[in-house]
Amino acid sequence: MSFDAEKEISKLWRNLHSAQAEIGKTYYRWRQVALEIAGPDADPREIGLKAAYVIGKDVGKGLLPRLNWLKGEEGFMMMLGRSLAGLWNVEGAQAMAEKGEKPGEVFIKCARDPWPTYAKEFDVPMEEVAACREKMFQSILEDVSVFFNIPLNIELEKAIPRGEGMWVLRLYKAE
Amino acid sequence: MAKLLYEWDYSSYPGAKAYPNLFKPIDIGNLTVPNRIKYAATEENLNARDGFVTDSGVEYMRWRGRGVVGGLCFMQGVYMDEAAKGQGYVGQAGAWHDKYVPGLARIAEAIHAEKAVAGFQLMDCGRVGAVEVPEGHGPSTVPQRLRVFKPMKEMTNAEVKEMVKQHVDAARRGVEAGFDIMEISGIVGYLISNFISSYTNRRTDEYGGDIRGRMQSVVEIIQGVKDVCGPDIPVGIRLCSEELLDDVRGNTPEESMETYKIAEEAGVDYISVTLGWQESIYPVISRDIPMGNWTHLAKRAKENVKVPIQMAYRLFKPGLPDELIGKNELDIWEMCRPMIADPLMPKKVLEGKEDEIRHCVACNLCLARLFRDAPMTCYINPVCAHEAEPVFVAPPKADDEKEILIVGAGPAGLECAYVAAQRGHEVTVYDKRDEIGGTLNEAQNAPYGDDELWTCIDYQKVMCEKAGVEFKLGTEVTDDIIEDEMPDSVVLATGPVYTDIQGNDKVKVVNVLDVLGGRAQVGKKVVVWGNRKPGIGVSLHLAQKGVKTTLIGREKTAGFDVNPSFKWRYMIYLRQNGVMAYNDCMIEEVTETGIIVKTYDGYRFPVECDTIVLSDRQANESLKKTVQSEGIELFVVGDALVPRNLSSAVHDGYRIGMRI
Repeated sequence: MSFDAEKEISKLWRNLHSAQAEIGKTYYRWRQVALEIAGPDADPREIGLKAAYVIGKDVGKGLLPRLNWLKGEEGFMMMLGRSLAGLWNVEGAQAMAEKGEKPGEVFIKCARDPWPTYAKEFDVPMEEVAACREKMFQSILEDVSVFFNIPLNIELEKAIPRGEGMWVLRLYKAE
Repeated sequence: MAKLLYEWDYSSYPGAKAYPNLFKPIDIGNLTVPNRIKYAATEENLNARDGFVTDSGVEYMRWRGRGVVGGLCFMQGVYMDEAAKGQGYVGQAGAWHDKYVPGLARIAEAIHAEKAVAGFQLMDCGRVGAVEVPEGHGPSTVPQRLRVFKPMKEMTNAEVKEMVKQHVDAARRGVEAGFDIMEISGIVGYLISNFISSYTNRRTDEYGGDIRGRMQSVVEIIQGVKDVCGPDIPVGIRLCSEELLDDVRGNTPEESMETYKIAEEAGVDYISVTLGWQESIYPVISRDIPMGNWTHLAKRAKENVKVPIQMAYRLFKPGLPDELIGKNELDIWEMCRPMIADPLMPKKVLEGKEDEIRHCVACNLCLARLFRDAPMTCYINPVCAHEAEPVFVAPPKADDEKEILIVGAGPAGLECAYVAAQRGHEVTVYDKRDEIGGTLNEAQNAPYGDDELWTCIDYQKVMCEKAGVEFKLGTEVTDDIIEDEMPDSVVLATGPVYTDIQGNDKVKVVNVLDVLGGRAQVGKKVVVWGNRKPGIGVSLHLAQKGVKTTLIGREKTAGFDVNPSFKWRYMIYLRQNGVMAYNDCMIEEVTETGIIVKTYDGYRFPVECDTIVLSDRQANESLKKTVQSEGIELFVVGDALVPRNLSSAVHDGYRIGMRI
């Protein structure tokens, strides 16, 4: 039996992208369910932010065993930034962490993000997509901050609602 | 004048001559202990879920009490709060109410019946606790690093004071139960260590801040416990000499030494040196850590405080602790796991029967079981936790003495052989090899401490010789031999058979045993087929020789058969040695340049190799039909029955030896 590398890789790639898309869409399907159960008076944005918070908290717990302080504050911040970018990449984005100019400052930049596209299918406002991304990362940092006894924050500086340009989030040590 | 509880005269024993420092007395506070041996408090999950002592727990301790031959024998740490936030194990003994005193007294009496010093330990499990309740307690609400442990809630100032009182009340119950020495557990992530560590204590009241503040609750506990114990009952503490938490901003070693000095100032009569936390990323006590690796920490403690210093941690044999005591770098030799593997270990040392010791192999299965709410067991000692069952402790003489033919002199066959022979059977062990040990002859060559596994064979060999087992080595058992001998029973302990790769004439194929035994040569790129322990062992063996090694197997994770407390070490070593592992896969095809791997979900990819090492095993069916067709009683043990690990071989062998 001969091995056809192109065929195997294309099958793997196709299935990976399908899985990423299904996961993204399923997130918004569940949002629909939550809105229907919550009723007409519920604020969709509030529900989205709550979901982002819950997801972020759980993801943050998973990060704790993988982070460490052995390389000091600068190394730790880059490790954390890379972890956040890596989480985004697993969801189908193209993100990276870059050292900022100030001590301990790291920028997470994302050149391509499929989530606004999924959101559009479900009539979710782009502002909510951006706010939820920020909220999710912020809630990831909650436990990390307490665990390492270092106040961390992340803020969205620039969003790309339709996938043009670059998302930019600033990760830094809060005063 | 210090008080001596029981007179012991070791002068006529060979062990006292060989290890004179181990068998000389020492004063701890106002108590004289006849020797320098201590069974350190160890959880065993043998008590009832409500914290009451059981017969199993009492007999477990009786045997350890016998083992220390007059030395210190500590029961497991007790939890002290009714809310059970401090309970870290489902079978942990409770001491939060006077109703527990009669049960605790049974343990003290059992230890005293062996003329040993009975020790009581106070242990709130803190961050590692709350096994039966949804939330734990600690100095601060620091999230758990390991999800297996419950979320933490910060104790109020009043709750800290109540916790101190709980320690004192529980100590009083220990005294009422008849214990002779008291110990506070401040180790490996339990509550006391949570208060001491900068990692978990972020408090701003009098119980937090600098190292003195973080030690404040400990000082109050020590002083309160000393008050209820009075002058005749010494009080000690187990404290971390190094937390090994530098990756999460834990205490420095200097701060840890400061805790020793503060504890001494507070009045402790001895300190037990410990090391590491459950959450630490560094290994401390597993087989890959050399024996005696941490003795410098005992020496450092001796340089910092004047009270007697005790230590365990990879001190499995008597020679080194004897030497350290002689050099004044240690005062008392502590043991947990060596006396789980063989409760009479120090007694055998004293009696000059070291060759009859069943040595711990530092696999940590005992600890892994505790965290999975299972009763204590030992990888290598089938009797462990069955001390209350006479049939296990001393299998009765057989009703009918039989002629038993055992095929295979590996760990399963040897274990079965001596147990059956002790029961009065006439046992002959055959093996086609010229030496005993079976596949352990080769398996002991795997790196990271597997040579220690051979101690099992050393023990079994001595036990077989003493039980009168006959050996016919270099003899392969055939159908003819069975038909000629016509024994009453046959035990097949033939080891596994190895799964071959079908339809391959392109790549060299060798067996894992031949590689580890140095009989087979491999190329520069090797695929190891089979991702259980033998596959991991040979992969690391080859990778350390510079061979590019890929591990492939059908199990969902590599090391499926390795217990979780050791498996994480292998995962790190595979990564460090550059071994690529593909799990849940099959070898679909062998090509001119290597193999095609097929994943469980149908993906295929090539892996280059010039040699395939077979380590995937199956049950061994050989000789079964012949034995059955002759109407001979048949037993199959070890890997011949189901390929597993050394522990299964030993336990199978022992149980069949009891039954046959």
